[in-house]
Amino acid sequence: MEKSALSVHQLSKTFGEGEIAVHAVRNIDLTINSGEVVLIMGPSGSGKTTLLLMLGAMLRPTAGSIIIDGIDLATTHERKLPVLRAKHLGFIFQDFNLLSALTALENVELACNLAGTVGQEARKRAFGLLQRIGLEERLHFYPDQLSGGEKQRVAIARALVNRPSLVLADEPTANLDSSHGRDIARVLKQLAKEEQCSIVVVSHDERLREIADRTLWLEDGAFRELDAMVVDPVCTMTVHPNDATSHYQFEGEIYWFCSPKCQRDFATEPKIYRNRASQR
Amino acid sequence: MRRVSIARNNLFQDRRRASLSILGVSAAFILVLVLNGIFAGAMRQVTTYIRTSPADVFVAQRGVTTMHMTASSIAPSVLNKVRGIYEVAWAEGLRFTASTVDANNTNLLTYVLGYNTATGQGGPRHFKAGRAPKNDEAVVDSVAAGELGIGLGQMVTILGKPFRVSGLSTDGTYIANTTVFITTADFAKLRGPTFAYILVGAEKGTSASVIQQRIANAIPEVSVMTRPEFAGHESNVVKSMAADVMAIISSIGFLIALALIGLTLFTATASKEHEFGIIKALGASRGRLTMVVLTQAIWIVTLAIILAIILAITIGAGIEALTPNFAVDIETRSVITSATSAFIVAAIAAILPLRRVARVDPATAFRR
Repeated sequence: MEKSALSVHQLSKTFGEGEIAVHAVRNIDLTINSGEVVLIMGPSGSGKTTLLLMLGAMLRPTAGSIIIDGIDLATTHERKLPVLRAKHLGFIFQDFNLLSALTALENVELACNLAGTVGQEARKRAFGLLQRIGLEERLHFYPDQLSGGEKQRVAIARALVNRPSLVLADEPTANLDSSHGRDIARVLKQLAKEEQCSIVVVSHDERLREIADRTLWLEDGAFRELDAMVVDPVCTMTVHPNDATSHYQFEGEIYWFCSPKCQRDFATEPKIYRNRASQR
Repeated sequence: MRRVSIARNNLFQDRRRASLSILGVSAAFILVLVLNGIFAGAMRQVTTYIRTSPADVFVAQRGVTTMHMTASSIAPSVLNKVRGIYEVAWAEGLRFTASTVDANNTNLLTYVLGYNTATGQGGPRHFKAGRAPKNDEAVVDSVAAGELGIGLGQMVTILGKPFRVSGLSTDGTYIANTTVFITTADFAKLRGPTFAYILVGAEKGTSASVIQQRIANAIPEVSVMTRPEFAGHESNVVKSMAADVMAIISSIGFLIALALIGLTLFTATASKEHEFGIIKALGASRGRLTMVVLTQAIWIVTLAIILAIILAITIGAGIEALTPNFAVDIETRSVITSATSAFIVAAIAAILPLRRVARVDPATAFRR
């Protein structure tokens, strides 16, 4: 039996009360095995960020449990959460979020320090990881001296340096061009495999499906069946036919759109968009 | 064990801003240190005559405890009574008043001292040039002589009478006034036979306090003080006159420092608020971030105070070189007090940024 790195049971988050209550996440159950990469997709406002914040011990759930390494984040005392984040979790952000005053090496080393590893041991570990991802020539570069792809590699090293059980990645390829995005996805998958840590990626980027062991669709705060999902041929967003604002029939096929604008754009040049969609 | 210093890296990321902040804080501390130095220097100068006197005990009119801002009158017969006290080695009457010394249409406030030139007790301690005065002669402090534009053999007017300068003394001029010495006979001719003070030397092996007690018991109509007591009273009267001004200016200096440190920390914190959110998200505790802000404050104050000490000593030396009647003593005690106050000021200045950092939500790391 595979060991689970994350176990979420009946997780809910409601903001506000009574008539103005917003149910951002509703009764979610999720189990992620050690070393597994799970991609969570969904439209804006679907509850992805709320779920990510709860998994990252930065937001208290209204109900349910989040078990990481046998610890329930939902009931852990507030004061213990920072240490827990440092030791058991890794974070990768869309904007890289490297500290501008620190070099690449120091950014990674800092994460080590926060988890309690200091001195030569921390430096060695940070150096080793950066070397593995091909940044040994950029160790003493500041973030503003690095390219977007290099910054995200440093961020990946920072997320993995403490060998966490779970890495949470928020749109890790959104600020990168397609070749760098693919490259980052590959590095992420490879390191996760080598370090035996699980990854939850929240993204709109279809390319990340290539590295995902599982893809989940989050909508209205709950997971839906992904097989029923379709891709908007204009903006490439994944949409559910039930929720699509419009559709268009062309040469016997039905296309679904996230907005009337996409539908209008498609209608102007349907062949081009259809060909592009089939190439993807 | 080495840790990555967020505080130092954040503070010195923008070196120009950090340098300006440190210079500003340093300027405030320089104000405090130099002011304290001038005050300490003045205290030393004011009491130089008493502290360097050969007398172990000073006798004054009853109720008089200082030379500054007072007048003392003792009948000449008291001198003989003092001389007759057991184990008094010597006693000399000192005639003294505050007046002006005039020459070349310039006049300076001065203490005029009439002393017995035969024994030299109560006279100038050091001569830069010339000799002790004879009748119708005076010894002028060398700095005052420079200000008056006179030298040996030239004339000055003291107590309305012309005197020829026979000697130039040292260490007798300070911020407020100077000192001139004439013979006790000349002084008596101009102001009458009374003494202002009697200087008393104890026999070898006899303590000043024993002599003090004996004189006080034998002559109840006088005040008797040991040399350190007399010097202490003298500095206290000057201190009490300047204490309020000193306190106000020192407070202004510390308030400027408080504002500058506070502003620097606040802008350093505000500009890094998102990054503080990231650090929190990565697992930094509130305590760790508190240490970051406090360490920044310590860095600013430590560098500012080191710079302030170096510059204050340099400025003090410059002031002394340009204006010889000024003495600037940057005392260790003043440095320690200023440094301690500076760290307290830094702790106060850090309160607002600390509150801001404490409120940063780690979830901001996910906001774009």
